[in-house]
Amino acid sequence: MDRSEKIGFGVALVGHVVLFALLSVGFLDTPEPPKIVQQPIDISLVPDVALEAIAPQSAETPAESVAPDEGTPEDAAPPAPQEAEPEPQPDPVPPAPQPAPPKPAPKPAPPKPAPKPEPKPEPKPVAKPRPAPPKPVAKPAPVPKPVAKPAPAKPSPAKSKPAPAKPAAKPSPAKAAPAKSAAKSNAAPAKSAASSAKPAKPSATKGSGSTADAKAARPRGSRLGDNFLKGLSADPSPSKSEAPKAAKLGAQAAANIGSAILRQVQPCANRQVTPGPGAERIRVTINLKLNRDGTLKSRPTITGHAGVDDENRRYVDRVDDLAIATFTGCSPLRGLPDDLYDVQNGWSNFSLRYKLPG
Amino acid sequence: MNPVLTMDSATLSPIHLFLQADLVVKGVMIGLLLASVWTWALIVAFWRRLGKTRKGLARFERDFWKAEDIDVFYKAESETDLPSARVFAAGVTEWRRSTAGGTIDKAGTRERLATTMGAAVAHEIDTLSDRLNVLATVGSVAPFVGLFGTVWGIMRSFTSIAAAQNTSLAVVAPGIAEALFATAIGLFAAIPAVIAYNRFSHGINRIEASLNRFADGFHATLSRQLDGAR
Repeated sequence: MDRSEKIGFGVALVGHVVLFALLSVGFLDTPEPPKIVQQPIDISLVPDVALEAIAPQSAETPAESVAPDEGTPEDAAPPAPQEAEPEPQPDPVPPAPQPAPPKPAPKPAPPKPAPKPEPKPEPKPVAKPRPAPPKPVAKPAPVPKPVAKPAPAKPSPAKSKPAPAKPAAKPSPAKAAPAKSAAKSNAAPAKSAASSAKPAKPSATKGSGSTADAKAARPRGSRLGDNFLKGLSADPSPSKSEAPKAAKLGAQAAANIGSAILRQVQPCANRQVTPGPGAERIRVTINLKLNRDGTLKSRPTITGHAGVDDENRRYVDRVDDLAIATFTGCSPLRGLPDDLYDVQNGWSNFSLRYKLPG
Repeated sequence: MNPVLTMDSATLSPIHLFLQADLVVKGVMIGLLLASVWTWALIVAFWRRLGKTRKGLARFERDFWKAEDIDVFYKAESETDLPSARVFAAGVTEWRRSTAGGTIDKAGTRERLATTMGAAVAHEIDTLSDRLNVLATVGSVAPFVGLFGTVWGIMRSFTSIAAAQNTSLAVVAPGIAEALFATAIGLFAAIPAVIAYNRFSHGINRIEASLNRFADGFHATLSRQLDGAR
């Protein structure tokens, strides 16, 4: 390392130290980034849309979704009684022809006296415990009676008691009736009549509604479910073609009215001369008191400012005057919705934001 | 290290960046700084040396061609610290040795004179261009070393992203800034080195050409003198 190299080393070392020292103290720092100026913009926060009904009519209670019940529903008859139903009816009929042959077979003479006394005693014991209904059914019964004797007739009520105990056993006496003596056949129709009469009254009970009488007397119910009218109202519809008048002007409607007003005053606004740079950033909140015909009730008032900064602060008063002049110059405002005039927040006393064009 | 980005001047100052850096990046930065210092030391040294040599060469040649008597000029200038003076001294020394005997081998003397002065020129150029290879090395390698530090630092920054589970710029920015600082230092060292290497190579080539011209001229003078000798 000769002399010039030593000198060079010294110079380079000193130069580097000086350079880094300068950089460290901010010699070549980047300048501060310019602050971003944010322009104010109008923001309308709209919580709801359209007209607000503050106190709407209370909701009507919907009609019950139940079909009108015109009778107790028809029971599904158990299959056995229905099969049994035809049997008892034909039973009385066949006995009639059957008794007929027996008539000639026994003595023709005794039948005559026999029928007279016999019908009387028979209905009595039977009719007393079971009053009226047996009559129609009991009538066929006397037909075979002539064959039967009075003696067996009496025991018949006694026998009849065990018989009705078994409803299913009904057919069996009916079958037995033609084959066996007339006494039994006597007792059988009487019992069948009695058994049929009994069920007729308690129609709701099961299995009993087999006779024609019971059927005719019973009211027929609806098989529809009780929810087939769900969502429908039985009453005439309460809806009307026109909506009820709202009690308050919603934010959306207010914004619509505001834009309609600003559109109408735009010609007057365009005539205004901007007082200075930055004045177009000032947004004034102006309050209009309007008559129903759109004319101003009084001179508009300025209720607030926004977007005022150091640059345009001195133009605030001028902008106020220009805003008032704009609204007075184009004052008869037309086409504003009449139904929104005197509701709460309606346009009878309306505040909106305005800024100079530009 | 807190990955907090604050935009004051201290954060991005070289000292702060250096102190914040990783150990590897620190090593790279220190090495590159030393290379830069050494480069500039060499630049200053070469500048001085080459400038002095070029001026001395011009003055020496002018004086030489003005000189009436070579022996007198040799006595006056042989001790001068100049490449051309040393080449001249080598030629004179060889001339005296070759012409000291009775008979003179003219062709052999010419060949020896040319060889001796050529060797002297080569030696002087070697001496002059010593350490010029350092500039070449720094100029070609320093960017890569700086790039290595940058890659290392950026890898570390991404690791800190993964550690912080946060991709915001505030996590990465200091690490990337300090990593890029390594490349900056590498370029800071390399650019002057490359420029200086090219410039000094050119200067040394010119000095070499000038020395060769002087040697050829002196050789022609001696050769003419040899023709006159019997």
